[in-house]
Amino acid sequence: MIRLENVIKTFLINGEFSKVINDISLSINRKEIYGLVGETGSGKSTILRLMNGFIEPDSGEIYLMNKKLDETTKHDLVKDTSMIFQSFNLLGNLNVIDNVLLPTKLRKGNKKDNIKRARELLSFVGISSFEGSYIRNLSGGQKQRVAIARTLMTNPKIVFCDEPTSALDDKMSYEVLKLLRDINEEFETTMVVVSHDISVIKAICNRVAIIEKGEISDILSLKTKKIEALSYKEALLGD
Amino acid sequence: MIDQYIETFKSFKIEIFQAFYETFDMLSIAMVFTLIIGLLLGFLLFITRLDGIHANRGIYLILSAFINIIRSIPFILFIIVIIPFNRWIIGTGFGVDASKIPLSLIGIATFARFTEQDLLDVDKNIYETSYSLGASTLQYCRYFLLKEARTGLILSFTSASISLLSYSTVMGIIGGGGLGYLAISEGYYNFNYDLMWIIIVIMIIIVQFFQTIGNMLAKKYDKR
Repeated sequence: MIRLENVIKTFLINGEFSKVINDISLSINRKEIYGLVGETGSGKSTILRLMNGFIEPDSGEIYLMNKKLDETTKHDLVKDTSMIFQSFNLLGNLNVIDNVLLPTKLRKGNKKDNIKRARELLSFVGISSFEGSYIRNLSGGQKQRVAIARTLMTNPKIVFCDEPTSALDDKMSYEVLKLLRDINEEFETTMVVVSHDISVIKAICNRVAIIEKGEISDILSLKTKKIEALSYKEALLGD
Repeated sequence: MIDQYIETFKSFKIEIFQAFYETFDMLSIAMVFTLIIGLLLGFLLFITRLDGIHANRGIYLILSAFINIIRSIPFILFIIVIIPFNRWIIGTGFGVDASKIPLSLIGIATFARFTEQDLLDVDKNIYETSYSLGASTLQYCRYFLLKEARTGLILSFTSASISLLSYSTVMGIIGGGGLGYLAISEGYYNFNYDLMWIIIVIMIIIVQFFQTIGNMLAKKYDKR
């Protein structure tokens, strides 16, 4: 589904060229939840942005859905993908349902069908009652749910998640992770999850690449376990 | 004392209404051009900046210099130097219609710069969001930037419109007429200070009206 071959990316940092991604090759299968874990600044978010074409590699090749990602193909390919951000990246001047409908304004489609689907997705992520609310009135968890509903609006084949739970408390994090797992199972979506938090990766990923200084130091297969949203009391008294 | 002003108003009623119409005529046309062209140029400045999504040093520098030149020439001199341009565009260098050209140009330059600054205040992550949702550059401008910057843009347009009202007062120099010209020619130069003060109060009321409408719209559309 996603293939990176000998990808190198250099940035100009403080007047000096620095190799942020150093000869990375990896392959992600369809329906897989693939984790990229590493310290802050290790290059994992850059890999994610290379994968969706937002950043171009200096050398190497990237394939999405068996098509080579380049300047001519990236705008078509990116329409079959979507991204969930750490800071949600919702539009504050739009209400919840208009935020969810936003991707459909960028594509052709039937307005009534789109509204129907947006409502179904809001129900799926559990925030139907907030349809007309503005973003400033939502909690962090609710904002991320809106962002997830927006992501699903176009039936993406791949969802990129950049630190999806970093801005959330533990309970909300587990709820969002469970939602991501449900999406993967129900819509058979391939997911790439970037996180510095090992518990996030362990909770939902099938495989994980450990990124150190722009290189893959290891790739591990994981046994995912059942995700349960714990109360503070349960979490404190648990192992 | 009030009676004195009422009497003056009655005796100059026709001239005041005529001048009000001339100001309204000049201002409304200039505001339309300011809004449309100023907004487009502001977006163009924003996306062609060095750190813009379509960085283009040449376009940015030319546009930026054009805006700076218009804004830096004292307006009363700008009206004079632009007379040949007025003739070229509408066939005459003088009158109310000719006045609309320099007024529109200063409005466009001012609002384009305001627009650029308003767009710079929008969260930088919005571009990546628009890209990841599959937006083209035009869609990014329309559905993302314009939505998120709209409060600032409304207030900037209000300020630009009030500046245009102020600039319109010197249009008498090329026969533009208007309230400002009446206040100076009939009020100040003819020692009819009552008329001058009546027009000053009318101008204050117009500015208050513009600002109130601008504030109300900005509040209505700000949902952040």
